[in-house]
Amino acid sequence: MSEVLQKETLLSYIGGEVEPKGTSISIRAINERGREELHNTAFPTRKDEDWRFIDLKSITKNTFVSVDEADTKEVGDISNHFLPEAMNTRLVFVNGEFNEELSSISDLPNGVIVGNLANYADHDSVKSYLGTITNYENDVFAPFNDAAFSDGTFIHIPEETVVKAPIHILNVFTDADKAFYATPRLLYVGEMFSKSTIIEEHIGLADNVYLNVPVTEFKMFTGSNVHHARIQRDSKQASHVSRPIAMLDKNAEYHSYTICLGAKLFRNEPRVIQNDQEVDFTVDGLVLIDGDQIADTHSIMDHRHAHGKSHQLHKCVVNDSAHSIFNGKIFVAKDAQKIDSFQENRNLLLSEDGKVNTKPQLEIFADDVLCSHGATIGQLQDEEVFYLQSRGLTEQKSRELLVYAFALESVESMEVESVEKLLLNEVIQYTNRDEK
Amino acid sequence: MLEIKNLHASVEGEDIEILKGVNLKVNAGEIHAIMGPNGSGKSTLSKVVSGHPEYEVTEGEILFEGEDITEMDADERAHLGLFLAFQYPVEVPGITNKTLLREAYNTIARANEREELDPLEFEDYIESKLDVIEMKDEFLSRSINTGFSGGEKKKNEIFQMAVLDPKLSFLDETDSGLDIDALKIVSDGVNKIASPEKAMVLITHYQRLLNYIKPDYVHIMMGGKIIKTGDFSLAEQLEAHGYDELQKEFALNGAQ
Ligand SMILES: Nc1ncnc2c1ncn2[C@@H]1O[C@H](COP(=O)(O)OP(=O)(O)OP(=O)(O)O)[C@@H](O)[C@H]1O
Ligand SMILES: [Mg+2]
Repeated sequence: MSEVLQKETLLSYIGGEVEPKGTSISIRAINERGREELHNTAFPTRKDEDWRFIDLKSITKNTFVSVDEADTKEVGDISNHFLPEAMNTRLVFVNGEFNEELSSISDLPNGVIVGNLANYADHDSVKSYLGTITNYENDVFAPFNDAAFSDGTFIHIPEETVVKAPIHILNVFTDADKAFYATPRLLYVGEMFSKSTIIEEHIGLADNVYLNVPVTEFKMFTGSNVHHARIQRDSKQASHVSRPIAMLDKNAEYHSYTICLGAKLFRNEPRVIQNDQEVDFTVDGLVLIDGDQIADTHSIMDHRHAHGKSHQLHKCVVNDSAHSIFNGKIFVAKDAQKIDSFQENRNLLLSEDGKVNTKPQLEIFADDVLCSHGATIGQLQDEEVFYLQSRGLTEQKSRELLVYAFALESVESMEVESVEKLLLNEVIQYTNRDEK
Repeated sequence: MLEIKNLHASVEGEDIEILKGVNLKVNAGEIHAIMGPNGSGKSTLSKVVSGHPEYEVTEGEILFEGEDITEMDADERAHLGLFLAFQYPVEVPGITNKTLLREAYNTIARANEREELDPLEFEDYIESKLDVIEMKDEFLSRSINTGFSGGEKKKNEIFQMAVLDPKLSFLDETDSGLDIDALKIVSDGVNKIASPEKAMVLITHYQRLLNYIKPDYVHIMMGGKIIKTGDFSLAEQLEAHGYDELQKEFALNGAQ
């Protein structure tokens, strides 16, 4: 304890203390636990192996206040961010707080719950699983969310129930006079053989400084199936540190696709834990950054039992002096035979000042496994640009098409048409932002 | 149509001169063939004419329809009506043939103040061009040249030429890698495209192509220069005696 006291904790950047705000016993208990951990855990520095490459000054040079002290602006009309496929399957959070008027939940099969956590704090699944799935050792961010959240999203899909419409969890952040923090929380419980698509989106409406620290927990029972798209379009001044984690029972499938477009500092630590045999999961990512953005993905694919299949394609496009970091850990436990795991990190570097750090990290203790991994850092090929240009396309258009082609595969895995359109538009804007 | 005067070109930023004073004049309606040993500069000539940034023109000029295009970007040259069928067509994963061609067609149309085609109109237009070289329409929705066989890539170049309808085309060894049937189909296609308003420059190692596409002129390129120009009989002579004899003759006469 005394040793930690001499080091900085996250509390230094959020005004020294977080008051527990949970109104129910279950949430309150997690708040207290988080606060305890927060006090006892040092804020990461460059000396920590997992934080070696990342510059955290977007967090450390600021002081973030809670939303109610930040003088946030009105949210205004955000209907342009609603997805046509999810008009009646949408929850909206404004600066981390549930907004009932902007939400619309009326189109769900019997028994399905999509609602705010505070409202369901006494639900058996909330009591059993909330805060039990995250396990980030020596971490300050998940405990921060634990300490500060009082509400969030609760999704419960009953046995053998399929929700066809995508469920849109829209987190918007408004302009504010002061830099604030928000701790969006999501608990998903998929009962046996249930199925759904979740679009978790984070949007900054202005260009202000804030700290967004979401935690999402997925408890996946036998044979359940989720398609989880995460779209990060935070303000270009924001910091976003997220902890999405999924725990998979037998035959469960969890496919996640994280798209990183916004935030000055993005640190994502997706983890998938195989809790039984024969699971299938995906931890894909697409990062498009420029200016002085930093995007860092530290993922863990944790194979603990036999017969698992996993896939990770992480693609990054880096322009200007942006910096992309990838550290993909694949763990295969001693008894986890017949694991088929694929990992690839492909980086497209568009500028001389851009930076890429990539490190696959395999820790395999079983002997009968199939694990492939690879990382590439490339530029747009001059021959490809010339080929397109010789057909009449401008150099700008040629580059745009080539970046588009690079990103397309990831975008196409969204499976929701309006989201794919939106992202393709983002890709085009990205390539046209900087005409040199 | 095309006039190349005393063209010298080097690899950009390096001191390697590859073209050492090329002179060539191509008029509308003409078909020219350029032959020459490996490494003599044929592909480089075609790339320099189409504006490849890897090469730097150090002396001389390239005129197209009277306009000096020596310093123009590749896309602007394409807008004027120049086309290069690559010796080694580039694979571009993720962009379909159709996407490229629609973008290219409309960009060229815009530059020439012609009507652009909307997606449906373009669909009809491009379908109508498939026949020119008996191309299967599944190729339209495949990524550019990606996973195409050598012969399919060459056919795809000619297909693109048919769609973009250029005034002057350089076909760099389009015949290499084609089997005899494909050679015939491609040659027929090229002959269909040829017209009195257009011109073509065929780069080839083999007389067999020239049996199908009759050139008006045959040029021999060696050491970065065109050292001899003649008619079809020059190709026959070459097929019979190889380059050695020509080289001797050239050495005897001295560099003119
Ligand atoms: N970018 C480059 N850097 C260095 N050398 C080059 C470059 N491009 C071309 N060359 C050289 O210039 C010479 C001419 O090459 P070019 O490709 O034009 O020959 P070619 O006549 O088309 O030969 P081939 O019949 O084999 O196709 C060769 O010696 C080649 O190695
Ligand atoms: Mg060549």
